[in-house]
Amino acid sequence: MSDIHHPGRRSVLAAGAASAAALGASWLLTGCSGPAAAPVLPAAAKKGAPDRGGTLRIARPPASEAETLDPASALSAYEYLGALYNRLVRVDANGDLAPDLAESWEPDAQARTWTFRIREGVTFHDGRRLTAADAAYTLRHILDKATASPQAAVLAPLIDPKTLRTPDEHTLVVPLKTPNAEFPSLLTHYNCYVVPDGSARSIGRTGIGTGPFKLESFAPAGPGRVTAYTDHWQGRPVLDAIAFYSVADMSARSNALLAGQVDLLSQTNLDFATARVVAASSRATVARVKNAQWYVLPMLTTEKPFTDVRVRQAMKLAYDPEHVVKVALQGAGTAGWDNPVPPSDPAHIAAHPAHDPEKARYLLKQAGHEGLATDLYTSSYDPIFTPMALAYQDSAKRAGIRIKVKTAAADSYYTQIWMKKPLMATYWYTGRPVDQLFTQVFRGGSSYNETAWSDKDFDALLDRARRETDDNRRRELYGEAQTFVVEKGGAMTPMFADRLVGLSRKVRGYAEHGFEFDYLGIGLKGA
Amino acid sequence: MVSFIARRVAAALGTLFLSSVLVFLAVQALPGDVATQVLGKDATPDAVAALREKLSLDRPAWERYTDWVRGALHGDFGTSLVSGKAVGSEVSMYLGNSALIALITVLFAVTGSIVLGILAGLYRDRWPDHLISTVSLVGMSVPEFVVATVLVLCFSVALPWFPAVVLYGPDASVGQLLPAVWLPALALAVVMAAYIVRMARTSVIDVMASEYVTTARLKGLSTWRVVTRHALPGAMLPTLHVIALNVAWLAGGVAVVENVFNYPGIGKLMLSSVQNRDLPVIQAIALISAVVYVVCNLAADLGAMALNPKLRTRGRTR
Repeated sequence: MSDIHHPGRRSVLAAGAASAAALGASWLLTGCSGPAAAPVLPAAAKKGAPDRGGTLRIARPPASEAETLDPASALSAYEYLGALYNRLVRVDANGDLAPDLAESWEPDAQARTWTFRIREGVTFHDGRRLTAADAAYTLRHILDKATASPQAAVLAPLIDPKTLRTPDEHTLVVPLKTPNAEFPSLLTHYNCYVVPDGSARSIGRTGIGTGPFKLESFAPAGPGRVTAYTDHWQGRPVLDAIAFYSVADMSARSNALLAGQVDLLSQTNLDFATARVVAASSRATVARVKNAQWYVLPMLTTEKPFTDVRVRQAMKLAYDPEHVVKVALQGAGTAGWDNPVPPSDPAHIAAHPAHDPEKARYLLKQAGHEGLATDLYTSSYDPIFTPMALAYQDSAKRAGIRIKVKTAAADSYYTQIWMKKPLMATYWYTGRPVDQLFTQVFRGGSSYNETAWSDKDFDALLDRARRETDDNRRRELYGEAQTFVVEKGGAMTPMFADRLVGLSRKVRGYAEHGFEFDYLGIGLKGA
Repeated sequence: MVSFIARRVAAALGTLFLSSVLVFLAVQALPGDVATQVLGKDATPDAVAALREKLSLDRPAWERYTDWVRGALHGDFGTSLVSGKAVGSEVSMYLGNSALIALITVLFAVTGSIVLGILAGLYRDRWPDHLISTVSLVGMSVPEFVVATVLVLCFSVALPWFPAVVLYGPDASVGQLLPAVWLPALALAVVMAAYIVRMARTSVIDVMASEYVTTARLKGLSTWRVVTRHALPGAMLPTLHVIALNVAWLAGGVAVVENVFNYPGIGKLMLSSVQNRDLPVIQAIALISAVVYVVCNLAADLGAMALNPKLRTRGRTR
């Protein structure tokens, strides 16, 4: 799994056979499920308080046969992490930073040195007390080359592991190589869960953390179980236990939910047909994670004709994102207007040029590409790619742009098409802090810069934003960065899609956003 | 007779040798470097060099081939690139689980379809024949994942008799797997049975029209005795090959069905290995599938010989 795309995890079964099977399943189910399937999908999970106790059964796609419980690893078993561990800093429901194991944090005047106050009275599952040494070790473990953590690429340019200091048991001082006022937000990543000092060799199997559940059993790509940790610093969780089952095939996961074998499908975006069947069933229903997936049509700015900024602007003005949301998502999402920062992020600004096919036509004419014809690659990797591409094709016709939608093989999509073809369809999970989003995906030279866009002015703007310690001023700068990307960048963002999550009608207190899952409050009613 | 067996066994060994070469070459023929292919997006020069050494790609191909075959003969297929475990033991664990499905499928499919095929043949062009032929034709035309989904819908979701998916890992015991085996086995059996029913029907019709059956009837034998004693062995002959091919097909056909049921068998391992580009595992599975094909066909040939006096005695008449 590459850290951001979650292939492996999300793709479930990249092979076409599987999607065909899922498709078969959905039409069969729709056809056979007696009463007419509910036309409207539920907007939110069931409200109400859960009963105390019980075991929640979660079906999840395994990351790999070599899965591990080491949070820093690229092959971490994602669902276990939030149950077993805590981070220093987390993201709250409004998208703002909130204390987790760090009670508070503050920078020096230049945002060059950050001091974290580590919470007292927290114990690991083996009874050891949490100290600043564990927090420092966690950072060193992420930065260690042997760990090969995806988040190391983000943190290594900022932190020299040798300079970390712990002046007392509950204070961690992190001197940065360059000023960064957004540094704490980089620690909200799911690779940054805190592990005990010196645990690198064993953490992948033991899963000893400070989280609300402790490990009972774990098998890579197999079943596992965690039980309530009664001494958890926030109090014990509602549930007695969570059983995790790995089910690679998406239609198999839906079947398990419909048959009542599991209560929740993790990392599974149900396709619309299946979602309707699930919502109509007596056992299960559908909840939404708002704006969970960021859909992109990246134009490679190093390939003709997208080397010309006028062509990129024309491509953006030519189509109507609202039309794409309506067609490809059946309304279950928000129009993106080519701004990569999701509308639910506090840093999001709404300014964008209006849909203007005439202006697009004019720009193309100026650039000498009137009646532009180009290929747009999609695959069955994700069920939304092709509908999105077709909706774009349809909408861009009004500006005289002729798009040819080409379908590529799903299993090699991210090795042969992504960052290789001038125009293609892709997506990311949302939940990245704004600084990490821009640095990883839009900064010149970053390995995830999927448009190969490199603009010195933009990079300088990012540097200025990072250095700015005034929160309001910094937010303004990140706003300017969004305008910059909308106007000059290579990424088209037609929309943010809600994830449709299948869960049992007994589940209460389900809350998930970005990479945050509420394991403390989730429970069952009348199980 | 001995020379016939010897020739068939020699041909089987030759086929196996050829398929092992092909499997090995197919992997070598990957565009670019094997190590680069395996690593895909993460192919940094360091990682490629490390993997090249691990796979000993710097040695000549024929040397690696002989090493691989020598290991394979001793059950050592190397180590998985993903899990780091021995491929041999991993594959045999999954293979054992698949064997459970295959055994039950074959029992269902072969007994059921031969009985149905004979009935259809005996009642040619009357309603039992029409019914059986139509149903088996539908079974043949519908892909197995659809059959599997319909079965799950009926017997797991609507009527909660069987589990819809297996929630255990590959190390599950037979007791844990047994409740979940029936639906996948039935799904495979439906697809497989169609071919055998058609074949058995045609054979029975041919044999019942033949002169020696007419003679047997003229001798005053009962229909039951004519069918079991004279018609059945003759009709079984061509059917045997269809059965053998189908059993061999199972080795690959389980892939889709196992994924629908999340059944921890060889098909699921094959799919995940292909996705992970775990070459040693893919090679091992390809070779084992070839062995299953060859052994099934050999068994069918030898079985046919046992049933066919002409083949059995050819050695002597020469």
